[in-house]
Amino acid sequence: MEINEKTRAGKHLTELLVKTYTDIHTRAAAGAFVVWGAIIVPAEIFAGFDNVVFCAPESHAAVCAAKGVGAAQCLKAEALGYSMDLCSYARIDIGCFSDGGKESPTMGLPRPHLLVSNTNNCSLLVKWFDVHRRDMDIPHFILDVPFCYGPQQEKDRDYILTQFGDLIQTVEQLSGQKFDRDRFYEAAAHTASASMDWKRFMACAEHRPSGITVFDSFVQMAPFLIARGTPELAAHYKILADETEANVKAGIFPVPDEKYRLLWDNIAPWHQLRKMSTRLAAMGANIVAAPYTSCIGAVEGSYDLLSFEENDDPLWYLARVQNHSVCPMGMDLRLSSMGPVIEKLGIDGVVFASNRSCKVFSVMQMDEQRRVREQYGIPCVMIDVDHADVRKFSQENVYVRLEALLESIEAKRAV
Amino acid sequence: MEMETPLQAMARLKAGPRPVIGCLPLYPPLELIHGMGLTPVVLWGLSDAVPQVPDADRHLQNYVCSVARRLAQFVIRDGKDLIDGLFFYNAGDTLRNLPEILREGRALAGASPLPLFRMHVPMTSPAQADSSGYLKQEIEALIRSFEKQYGVTFSETRFAESVFLYRRMRSLCLQLEQAVAEGRMGFADFCRTLMAANFLEVSEQIALLASTLDGIGPPSATDDASVRVVVSGILPPPPAFCEMMDQAGFVVAGNDLAFMHRSYAHAPETWADAADYYVKFYKSHFPCSTLLFSSDRRVDAIIDRVRQAGAKGFVFVGEKFCEYEYFDFPYLEKRLRDQGVAVLAVEISMDDTVGMETFRTRLEAFKEVIDGGGRNGNK
Repeated sequence: MEINEKTRAGKHLTELLVKTYTDIHTRAAAGAFVVWGAIIVPAEIFAGFDNVVFCAPESHAAVCAAKGVGAAQCLKAEALGYSMDLCSYARIDIGCFSDGGKESPTMGLPRPHLLVSNTNNCSLLVKWFDVHRRDMDIPHFILDVPFCYGPQQEKDRDYILTQFGDLIQTVEQLSGQKFDRDRFYEAAAHTASASMDWKRFMACAEHRPSGITVFDSFVQMAPFLIARGTPELAAHYKILADETEANVKAGIFPVPDEKYRLLWDNIAPWHQLRKMSTRLAAMGANIVAAPYTSCIGAVEGSYDLLSFEENDDPLWYLARVQNHSVCPMGMDLRLSSMGPVIEKLGIDGVVFASNRSCKVFSVMQMDEQRRVREQYGIPCVMIDVDHADVRKFSQENVYVRLEALLESIEAKRAV
Repeated sequence: MEMETPLQAMARLKAGPRPVIGCLPLYPPLELIHGMGLTPVVLWGLSDAVPQVPDADRHLQNYVCSVARRLAQFVIRDGKDLIDGLFFYNAGDTLRNLPEILREGRALAGASPLPLFRMHVPMTSPAQADSSGYLKQEIEALIRSFEKQYGVTFSETRFAESVFLYRRMRSLCLQLEQAVAEGRMGFADFCRTLMAANFLEVSEQIALLASTLDGIGPPSATDDASVRVVVSGILPPPPAFCEMMDQAGFVVAGNDLAFMHRSYAHAPETWADAADYYVKFYKSHFPCSTLLFSSDRRVDAIIDRVRQAGAKGFVFVGEKFCEYEYFDFPYLEKRLRDQGVAVLAVEISMDDTVGMETFRTRLEAFKEVIDGGGRNGNK
């Protein structure tokens, strides 16, 4: 199920995205303090201020790619000297900024007062934001999150918490605004509520046939990246989960003739969502989930939601989930979070999308693939993609491999 | 002096009494490891020791940089019996994924499991809250890990002795670098010597560097045709490239190579204890694209270096797929050109073992640009 004008959640998503980007520009023009942050930076902190706007360049780059203007933006960055080997999100963002957001579906992003990168998803985000720091001569706050090879350690959480406090002080000093803990608490509660409904939506994949495709979850993930901490986010995911559950009850499925239930490992190939979902559906294949989207609200190595009530301090909660997003954890943890998804959803095969623009996600997939085969006895395939640069995507090569995966599943069933 | 190959040198170290700790990436706490009776070897610059990477290619995609692929090949197969442990810190997204990949690779290759030691070096910017306390905890935890694994003990006295040795080694590197800048030593010989030294124990490094320094002659007669440049990148260029630079009449008046100047340029003069030493070590480290907190200082430090060296040109030798360098380069290039410094950028990849002659034309053309005082070469 893609963004579909006929579904309430699809319509609501479009309205929410338009409203959010419009608000960003409007409030920035009216004098709001603007933060550009990496997507895992806890945006709820900024919601604790009276007039701070949070923008996510990664998400904006994904929107550009999904709307078909990613490669054009990449070209602008390459013309400035940035290597084609660099992450396509970064190239899109740098290219887009270079001409003030021309060709951007959202008119770009308003000029920031503060950059907040982090090292958990990928430390190259710091290098990318440094490009902007130099261009705009504005402060750059680096949220340094230690990588997890095992459960997040208390010393690391304390380190993260100290940095959260420092970030709050930094915003207070730069914006002249006072941090309001109650407002922040409300924001964290909105996110926690949204996460619960997100899990309800994701659970619709357990049904056979699945109530969702991974492409739905990729698209519907957008508000989590740009509207975190808002009541609108919580409201949207409630609409999404309610409607999807109702569809399942009513027997409405995105791939009614679902013969193959697949798992996707990596970020979405934003430029291929419609094409890929359509072509796979025609083959009776449904990619029903991806760790990238199922990890929201969980801790490293887990599929299950971390309860917000577990600790009353929202800063603690946000620090605890800083390693949630697949990339900031090692192979053992990744596999331990992938396992329950494979078992719970009855996955027939796994598509490891080797993503040239996201080494941190992709480097280790070759061993993961082998271990998933050994541990779960299901066929796997590795395909080459780039999440946002369509020039690095060879459609027919990918489908040859996907077809081979489906044949392997059939062969296994025949035994 | 006949130099050992990296594999020969490491085999000899392995046969010695001290456990050998393979370290990555480039700025590990060498003094600490050495002071605890272990021998640290930075597993970098393995191109001669590991020309092919068939085992690594079972674990790493071909868009991973050659440094990581060769390192993986070394740990999984070619040098699997030459190290007793591996130390990692967090510089590089590919590298942070490597510990478990290497563990898997060794298991598949039938090699024994290796103890892994890790440390997180804070990457917060200097303008942020002080993260010294966290780093001190990390250093103390690392000491406990080594003690537990190898039955060794830490002492501040032995640590100080090791600091002295490494300071001497770094000082000799700087003197050799100066000899190259004065035209007393070719850049190719300099790189060859430092690459060989990398795989030695620090006392041996000192002996090799000191004897090399003793063996070089006075400055050659001033050659008006020579052109002074600074070379930058992660690794030294391949030997053939270095020789072409020498032959073309370039004098490498300084370098900004991560493997070389960035590694040996600075170490603390005073410290309270080992933890304090490393707080100072990283805080005031020569800026590197991989040390995220040093970003603010990096471009100015390089420009200062170019100016002090009297260089007219800057040769950037990019390691294919090393994004850290490539994010910085466009701005660095612009700033250098604004200063009237000519810039040549080349890229070296895993497969560039043949066809190096194509670089000769580029180097010669670059020299002509500078000689001619062209657009970017105001001689």
